[in-house]
Amino acid sequence: MHAPHHILRFRDVTVRYGRTVALDGVSVDILCGSATAILGPNGAGKSTLLRTILGWDMPGQGEILLGDAHPQHALPRLAYVPQRQTIDWDFPISVRGVVEQGRYPALGPWRRFGPRDREAVDRALHELELTALADRPIRALSGGQQQRVFLARAVAQGADIFLLDEPFAGLDLVASEELAHLLRTWRAQGRTVVAALHDLTLARQTCDQAVLLATRIIASGAIAQVLTEANIDAAFRAGRSGVSAADPLHGIRTTHFDA
Amino acid sequence: MNALHEWFIAPFDYGFMQRGLLSAVLLGLSGGMLGAILVLRRLTLMGDALSHSLLPGLALAWWFFGSSPLALFAGALIAGLLTALGSALVSRLTRVKEDAAFAALFILFFAGGIALLGKLPTQINLSHILFGHVLGAGPADVQRAAGVTALTLVALLVFRRSVLLETFDPVFHRATGGHGAVVHGAFLMLTVLNLVAALQTMGVVLALGLFILPAVTAYLWCESFLRMMALSAGIAVFGAWAGILFSYHAGLPSGAAIVLSLGGIFLGSILLSPRHGILARLRRSPQLRHPEADAAHAPHSHHHP
Repeated sequence: MHAPHHILRFRDVTVRYGRTVALDGVSVDILCGSATAILGPNGAGKSTLLRTILGWDMPGQGEILLGDAHPQHALPRLAYVPQRQTIDWDFPISVRGVVEQGRYPALGPWRRFGPRDREAVDRALHELELTALADRPIRALSGGQQQRVFLARAVAQGADIFLLDEPFAGLDLVASEELAHLLRTWRAQGRTVVAALHDLTLARQTCDQAVLLATRIIASGAIAQVLTEANIDAAFRAGRSGVSAADPLHGIRTTHFDA
Repeated sequence: MNALHEWFIAPFDYGFMQRGLLSAVLLGLSGGMLGAILVLRRLTLMGDALSHSLLPGLALAWWFFGSSPLALFAGALIAGLLTALGSALVSRLTRVKEDAAFAALFILFFAGGIALLGKLPTQINLSHILFGHVLGAGPADVQRAAGVTALTLVALLVFRRSVLLETFDPVFHRATGGHGAVVHGAFLMLTVLNLVAALQTMGVVLALGLFILPAVTAYLWCESFLRMMALSAGIAVFGAWAGILFSYHAGLPSGAAIVLSLGGIFLGSILLSPRHGILARLRRSPQLRHPEADAAHAPHSHHHP
C-alpha cells in the first residue's frame, strides 16, 4: 500500500471578481481516491473553486497543482460534469452520441474515432447501466438516466478526477438514492471525486472528505470532523446580522423534507 | 414528354437560370447545414436580424462603387460583421442583453439602409434587393457561392466535434479545453458570408429562409445531429431547385418563390412528422381516440370512471 497522497493541491488561492473576493487564501489538499464534498452557503465560492480548477477563473494569487502540473495543462485528466439543467434535452442525439463526446477532447479535430474509443464508450455505457438505452434519443430519458448519461461521458473520458457541479440538483428521491449509491461505489473503487453540494445529509452519505467554505476555508479533512455544529455555524452564519444568539440552530437546519 | 421538357428543362436554356440555380443550390447545401446549427442553438432570430442589417452596407457600396458585385459583397459583409461585433460590445459594456442589442442595432441599420437607398443618385429596384432577382445572377455570383460553400463545408468538417460540443453543451466544451468564443465568432462569420453570397437570388429580407426553413423541417424528422444537418441541406437544395422553377413560371421574385417552396415542405412536415407532428400528437392524445378502439383495449368499458 502507498501512503495516501494528494492529487490536487490549493496553495493560498485567492480569486476576485472586480472588488468582490470569491475565494480568500484557500489552501487545501484533495486526497487521491477520496470523495470530497465542497460545502458552504450560496456565494461561498463552491462553483468558483471548481471553475478555478478548470482554469476558467484565474487566481489573483496562489496556485493550484494537479500532481506536479497546473491543471490547465492537464485538462484531459479532469472530467467535469455540468449541471443537468444547462442542457437542451430535446437535442437530436442518442445516449451513445453523448457518451462518445467524452472521447472528443483526446481525439482533437483530426484523429479518427477508432476501436479503442468505441470500446471505452461501450465500457462506460455498461458501467452506468445504459447499454440497453444506448440508441435511444436523450429526450426519452428520466432525470436520473440523464444524470447517468453525463457520468458515463465523464467515465468515457478516462479521467483521474471527476468534478461534479451540484449533481443532485433536480433529481427526485429514487434518482437521488441511485446516484448516492453510485457515488459510494465509485468511492469504494478509489475514484477521486470532487462534488459541489449544498445538502449536508447527502454529503455525509456520499463523501468521506469535505471542504467547508465561506469564501475562506472554515474546515477541511475527514467529513465527520468537518461537519461539526461549530463549523457549520461558522460557515453558514458568517457575516450575517440579525441572527439571534438565543437560537443557535437558526439558519443551520439542513434536513430535507421533500423526500 | 414535351410538357415535362417545357416545365423542367427548357427554363435552364437561359444562362441566368443556370447561374441562379447553381448558386442557390450551392448555398442551400451550406446554408442548410448552418441553419441546423442556428435552430439548435436558438439563434434563428439573430440570423434574421443579421440578414436585415446587411442593407446599409449594400447601399453605401452602391453609392461609392456603383453596381460592382465585389463592392456590394464587401459592403454587406462589413455591415453584417459590424452588427455582430456591435451587439457583442453593447451587451458586454452595458446592461442591454445580446438579443436586445441585436434587435436594436439591426432595425437601426435596416432603416439607415432604406434611407440611403432612397437618396441614391441612380434609380434601383428596391424589391430586387429585398426579395432577390434571379435575372441578375452573373458568373461572379456563382463563383462566390462556390467559394463560400466550399469554405463552409471544409470548416464544418474540420471542426465537426467542436461544433457539436459547442452546440450541445458549451460548458462541457469549455471544460475540456474548447474555445467557445472562437467557435461562436467563426460560426457568425460563416453565417454572414453565406447570407451575403445568397443576396442576389434570395434578397436581404428572405435570404435566411433558405437556411432556416430546411433546418426546422429537418428538426421535425431527425433524432441525430448529423442526419439533421444532411437532411436540412438536402431539403434546401431541393427547395432551391423547385423555387427557381416556380419563380420562372409564375413570374415571382426568386427569393419569394424559394421560400414558398420550402415553406410548403415545412407546413407538410408540421402535419405529418411521425413523432413530432400535429397528426401524430392528435393520434396519441386519448380524448380524440375513437370509442371502438377504446373498447377493444378495455373490454369492460362500462366501468368507465
